[in-house]
Amino acid sequence: PIGAGGGGCPAGGNDFQWCFSQVKGAIDEDVAEADIISTVEFNYSGDLLATGDKGGRVVIFQREQENKSRPHSRGEYNVYSTFQSHEPEFDYLKSLEIEEKINKIRWLPQQNAAHFLLSTNDKTIKLWKISERDKRAEGYNLKDEDGRLRDPFRITALRVPILKPMDLMVEASPRRIFANAHTYHINSISVNSDHETYLSADDLRINLWHLEITDRSFNIVDIKPANMEELTEVITAAEFHPHQCNVFVYSSSKGTIRLCDMRSSALCDRHSKFFEEPEDPSSRSFFSEIISSISDVKFSHSGRYMMSRDYLSVKVWDLNMESRPLETHQVHEYLRSKLCSLYENDCIFDKFECCWNGSDSAIMTGSYNNFFRMFDRDTRRDVTLEASRESSKPRASLKPRKVCTGGKRKKDEISVDSLDFNKKILHTAWHPADSVIAVAATNNLYIFQDKIN
Amino acid sequence: MEFKLEAHRIVSISLGKIYNSRVQRGGIKLHKNLLVSLVLRSARQVYLSDPCPGLYPWAGGFFFFPTGGPWRPPPQQQPGELAAGPPAGWGEPPRPPPTEPQSELSAVSEAPRVGDAVPAATVTGVGDVPQGGEADAAEAAWSRVEGPCQAAAGEAEGPAGGWAVFPLGSRAARRPCGCPLGGKDPPGTPAATPRSACCCAPRPAEDEPPAPPAVCPRKRGAAGVGGGPASCPAPSSTPLKKPRRNLEQPSSGGEDDDAEEMETGNVANLISIFGSSFSGLLRKSPGGGREEEEGGESGPEAAEPGQICCDKPVLRDMNPWSTAIVAF
Repeated sequence: PIGAGGGGCPAGGNDFQWCFSQVKGAIDEDVAEADIISTVEFNYSGDLLATGDKGGRVVIFQREQENKSRPHSRGEYNVYSTFQSHEPEFDYLKSLEIEEKINKIRWLPQQNAAHFLLSTNDKTIKLWKISERDKRAEGYNLKDEDGRLRDPFRITALRVPILKPMDLMVEASPRRIFANAHTYHINSISVNSDHETYLSADDLRINLWHLEITDRSFNIVDIKPANMEELTEVITAAEFHPHQCNVFVYSSSKGTIRLCDMRSSALCDRHSKFFEEPEDPSSRSFFSEIISSISDVKFSHSGRYMMSRDYLSVKVWDLNMESRPLETHQVHEYLRSKLCSLYENDCIFDKFECCWNGSDSAIMTGSYNNFFRMFDRDTRRDVTLEASRESSKPRASLKPRKVCTGGKRKKDEISVDSLDFNKKILHTAWHPADSVIAVAATNNLYIFQDKIN
Repeated sequence: MEFKLEAHRIVSISLGKIYNSRVQRGGIKLHKNLLVSLVLRSARQVYLSDPCPGLYPWAGGFFFFPTGGPWRPPPQQQPGELAAGPPAGWGEPPRPPPTEPQSELSAVSEAPRVGDAVPAATVTGVGDVPQGGEADAAEAAWSRVEGPCQAAAGEAEGPAGGWAVFPLGSRAARRPCGCPLGGKDPPGTPAATPRSACCCAPRPAEDEPPAPPAVCPRKRGAAGVGGGPASCPAPSSTPLKKPRRNLEQPSSGGEDDDAEEMETGNVANLISIFGSSFSGLLRKSPGGGREEEEGGESGPEAAEPGQICCDKPVLRDMNPWSTAIVAF
């Protein structure tokens, strides 16, 4: 059944039901561009959920602990910390404005009481420390409670400062700034399983960083041609293998995925594996190249598989089979005949992300009209759901949606021409263990849980 | 025949996208432009390979591209000349493109204009466009184009250089309605003329609300909320929000820079597609292009606000990509 987080479901029993849990963000029809969510990411435990927006802000939600006195608020996510991660910058030398939009957030595994995450815009990656402070020291000798220095000559007795509880304060502070390493726009960051290094990828290069060292990085992939006129493809996404710290993959605008092993050479321009599905010549059109461009690539939690998202489909690959994907799931095939219009209104360039559930039994990705799709790999069933205010009553079940592709439109179906292409779900995230999903719909963040949870 | 029209339309759209990308925030997006150039190439191939002798939308229209200055036809404008510039195969246009700016425009209005729904085959496509970002993005791009001209008046210290990205050098761009121009202003003239001379264009930006926040260049540093001296209203209620800066700078990257420039190789592809008769278009620095054509203006900052396109209301009503065509 779709969404099985950890345990199995009763054989032959009902599917899990996705229900509305929460929605965050303004209800206003008029959406400020700065509020548009540009990335969503759960941390390793799933207790924290981070979002980044076009205005350069990061908002972190924390899951409430179960509380017997308030059973209905179990598992609710509430704002934990908000901070401005990136500001717009202007590169005066190149006369280039650098957007503050947060392209990606990636959490580091937790090693102490504080939480660390990496956030990046087009050019600069920052390591943020988010820490709690719930105690305050009082009773200093040299300064009084307001912080004013005391006159040492007036001090007649010494005391030991004591810690007193205070209202919880969550502070975010930038601990590292990794700048000036990317000429092109950063599209991905990925923390290595060694917890010491991470990679950042732009259109033509991938750099390897050490989390402690900000003034240099190693370039491990460089596909920039000597003559830019010969440029035929760019890097669109990159990710480290979840367990093998020497392995990473990167996808390209040509629909290919390359797996590289850093042990083989310092510069990983030559791939170890090359994943590409041959194009079906019968479906060739002006836009074949655009729709084959991969917008996201994600390893499964097991590390055995990976998933790639192109404009119309999601493909699951077995790392041991390069010739073709294991599975191909159509997300919105009905758009194939509309590609010209989608090219005109730029929707064809939308970069959808995809994600695995905790057990790798299901995958999810977004679509238009605030629809998102889930595919169960075991049962081969798929469902289309909608993130909308209308179906936002607490714990209300989400009704499966259906797009009518032609002919008679049944009741409750929506025709392709009625789809709202301004309402696109590009970013979704799945809790690493539980059946909880976060779906970003423009400026709103929807959280859904399954009934059982 | 339909293929040719479709291909023509796609070429126009693609050109418009590349054009718009030059004024988008954040610089030129290499990935998107690469994809657009691939589509452009495919469409061009189809266009050239579809044997359809009867229809030649003003072939010159493909070659024109809003650049830093008005398009000046190469000397001795002959049909053969035109065909000589671009790679062989574009074909002979039925009539030579005119050399006068005014007649250029009248030719434009006569020629089938893809964006303006003249050919029936393309009208349906226009109607089918799903609501989406292109029109808004183009409108936004246009409004950003307008902005700095107002800001430039009030704020001399814009970022140096590159103000004049507004590749709307071609005066024709100020005539989306297709009216012949009133006069042949040299490109350097701060031109109030075009707007007022046009009977069709709605009144220029005076009618608009006071500079939207997008206009304000933001002061960096300690400005905090409230942005620059232009006292832009903060568009958002969040205290942390600052007005968005409106400096549209493509990656201009001069060839001389020591630091690596963000090259946009796709524009180099355009050279090979359209031939070098198109100088100025594809320079990495749009300012560079203008300097060549406008004979050493004092600098992009001097680029007259008046040269900047036309009014928001008109633009809003237009198909975004037809502005690229109309620019010719």
